[in-house]
Amino acid sequence: MSNVENDLASLPPNRRRFITTVLGVISGAIAATLGVPLAGFFGLPAIRKREFVWAEAGSVDRFKVGEIVFVLLKPLKRPVWPEEAPKLGVFVSRKADGSFDVFHNHCTHVGCPINWNSAIQRFFSPCHGGVFDKEGRVLAGPPPRPLDRHEWKVEDGVLYAGSIYMVSERLERVGPYHS
Amino acid sequence: MSLGDWLNERLGSRRLIEAFLYRRLPKAVGWPHTLGSATLFLLLVQIATGIFLSFYYVPSVEHAYGSVEYITNEIPFGAFVRGLHRWCASLVVIFAVLHLLRVFFTGAFKYPREASWVIGVLLLGTIFAFGFTGYLLPWDQKAYWATVVGTHIAEFAPGVGEMVARLLKGGPDVGIRTLGRFYAFHVLFLPAILVSLVALHLFMVIRQGIAPPPVGKLAVVRREDYRELYEESKVQGHTFLEHLLRDGMISLALLIFASWLSLRYGAPLEEIADSSTTTYVPRPEWYFYFLFELLWFFPGEWTVIATFWIPTLGFLFLLLLPFFDRGPERSPFRRPVASGAGAVLLSGIVYLTYLGAMAPEPPGRSSDQTVAKLSPDLQKGREIYEAQGCAACHIIDGQGGAAGPDLSKIGSLRDPEWLKRFIKEPQAVKPGSPMPDSKGLAEESLDVLVRYLQSLK
Repeated sequence: MSNVENDLASLPPNRRRFITTVLGVISGAIAATLGVPLAGFFGLPAIRKREFVWAEAGSVDRFKVGEIVFVLLKPLKRPVWPEEAPKLGVFVSRKADGSFDVFHNHCTHVGCPINWNSAIQRFFSPCHGGVFDKEGRVLAGPPPRPLDRHEWKVEDGVLYAGSIYMVSERLERVGPYHS
Repeated sequence: MSLGDWLNERLGSRRLIEAFLYRRLPKAVGWPHTLGSATLFLLLVQIATGIFLSFYYVPSVEHAYGSVEYITNEIPFGAFVRGLHRWCASLVVIFAVLHLLRVFFTGAFKYPREASWVIGVLLLGTIFAFGFTGYLLPWDQKAYWATVVGTHIAEFAPGVGEMVARLLKGGPDVGIRTLGRFYAFHVLFLPAILVSLVALHLFMVIRQGIAPPPVGKLAVVRREDYRELYEESKVQGHTFLEHLLRDGMISLALLIFASWLSLRYGAPLEEIADSSTTTYVPRPEWYFYFLFELLWFFPGEWTVIATFWIPTLGFLFLLLLPFFDRGPERSPFRRPVASGAGAVLLSGIVYLTYLGAMAPEPPGRSSDQTVAKLSPDLQKGREIYEAQGCAACHIIDGQGGAAGPDLSKIGSLRDPEWLKRFIKEPQAVKPGSPMPDSKGLAEESLDVLVRYLQSLK
C-alpha cells in the first residue's frame, strides 16, 4: 500500500495549468447548471412579493367606537396550495372619526403574541415587558417601534385587512412590514 | 483462513486497524479526553433515534402534531424513543460545550491543531442549527412561537435580515413552507453537513494525534519544539485501545442517564400551534436562554446589539480564536488573560442561562391560591393589580413578568404616600422611569391598590 508515487516531472507546467483550468471550467459549469435552478427553487418562492390579499375582519357594525377587539381574519379565497393562508389574528380598533387601526398581533421587539387589556386600555407583550397604548405607541419596555398594522378598507359595510406595514414613532407609515 | 485474513490479504486492513488501535497517546490523556467521544456517541444516538422517528413523523401542518401525538401515545416505545431524541439533543449541547472548554483551557487548539478548532466551532454551530430546526417539528405552541421569535430575531441582521428571515420561513409568515424547510434542514441538509464536518474533525485528530495535555514540559511549547516534545510525550502514554475503555464506559453511562431522563420526564407536547393566541408566553429551548435573557439589557434601538452583533461577533471570535491566542503557552495558568476572559464569559453565559431557567411564571396562572388567603379589601386590591396589568412587568411571590422590580416585599420598602404618587405618575417621582402612568385610575381604586401593595411584606 501507500507506494503510489506521484510523477510531477512527467507533466509539464503548461499542460498542468491547462488541465486544471479545464477542470475548473467543468466544475463551474456543473455548479452553475445545478446551482442556479436549485437556488431559485429554494429562494424565489420565499422572497417573491405576495399578491395583495385582502381578508375579511367582519361586519363594521361589530366594532364599536373606542373599543378594541380581537378577531380572526377570514381569507377571501384560498389560493393555490403553497400560498396557504395562515390563520391570522388582529386587534381592530374603531376610532371616533370612523377610521380603523388594525394591529398585527406580534410584538415589534422579537415577535411574541401581544394581548389587549381593556381595563387599562393597553397592549402587553408577555416576553420582555413591552407595553403599548391603544394606538400602538410604545409606553414601556424594549420594543423598538410602535405596533405594526394592516392596511384596511371598508366595502359594503364589511371591514377588510390587507398587508402589514410598519409605522414611525409619530405613527406615520414608514414602509412595508419586513416579513 | 478467517474473513479477517481474507480481507487483509487484499486490503492490508490489519495494519491499518492495528495502527489505529495501538497508536500511543500522549502522557496524561485521561477522563477529560472522553468529552469529544461522548459528544460523538450522543450524535450517533441522535442519528439512530432520528431515523426511526422519521418512520412515523409526517412533516405537514395538517399532520405533524397528530403524528407526534401518535408516536408518543400509541407506538410501542414511542414516548421513549422521542424522549431519548429530546434529551440527547440537550446532552449533545452540554457535551459539545464541555469538550470545547476542555480544548480551550488546555490550549489544545494551538499549533498545529488550529483547523480542528475551526471545524469544531462549525460543528457547534451545526448542533445549534439542529436544535433550532428540530424544535419546530412537533408543531405545538412552543415550537411555533419559538420559531416566530427566532425568525423575528434573524430580521435584525443589518441589510440582509429581511431576506434571511424570509429564506428561513419560506415566505412572509411561519407556515406550511417553514415546516417543510425546517424538516429538510433537520433531516437531510444538516446531517450531511454534520457527517462531513465530523469526518474531517476525526481525520485531523487521528492524523495529528490527540493534543498533549499541558503538563510538565508541555505547559509551554514553541512551534519549533513541538514535534520533538510530542513524540517524547507519546513514549510515556497509553495506547488508544486502553483509552477506548474510558470512552466506552462514558458512552454507556450517558445512554443509561438519557434513558432514565426519557422514562422519567419524556418529551413535552403542548397544545397544537395557534398563530392567533393572545395568551401564550413563548420560551426558547434552554440553551438559547442566554441570548433571550440578553435582550433585557438592550432595549429599544439597542435591540440589534443583542439580536445580531453579540451572537455574530461572538461566534466569529470563537471561530477564529486560534489566530488571536497564538502564544506558545498552553497551560491555563501560563496564559491568565485568555483563561480569565474565558472564565468571565463562561460565568456570564451560565448566569444568563440560570436567569432564563429561573424566569418567573407568567402572570395569571395558579393565581387562585394566592387570592384565596386575602381579606375582601386586599382581594379587591389584588383584582385591581391584575386588571391594571401590573403583573405583566412585576413579580409577586414568583409570579409575573420580570421587566420591573419584584414587589413581593414592597410593603416594607415604600410608604403608602410614595407608592400612591409613584403609581399615578412615575416620571414625576423618578424621572426616566420606564413604568407607564396610571392617571386614569380612580383615586379610590388607587387607595385600594396601595393597601394591597402595603400588605406585601
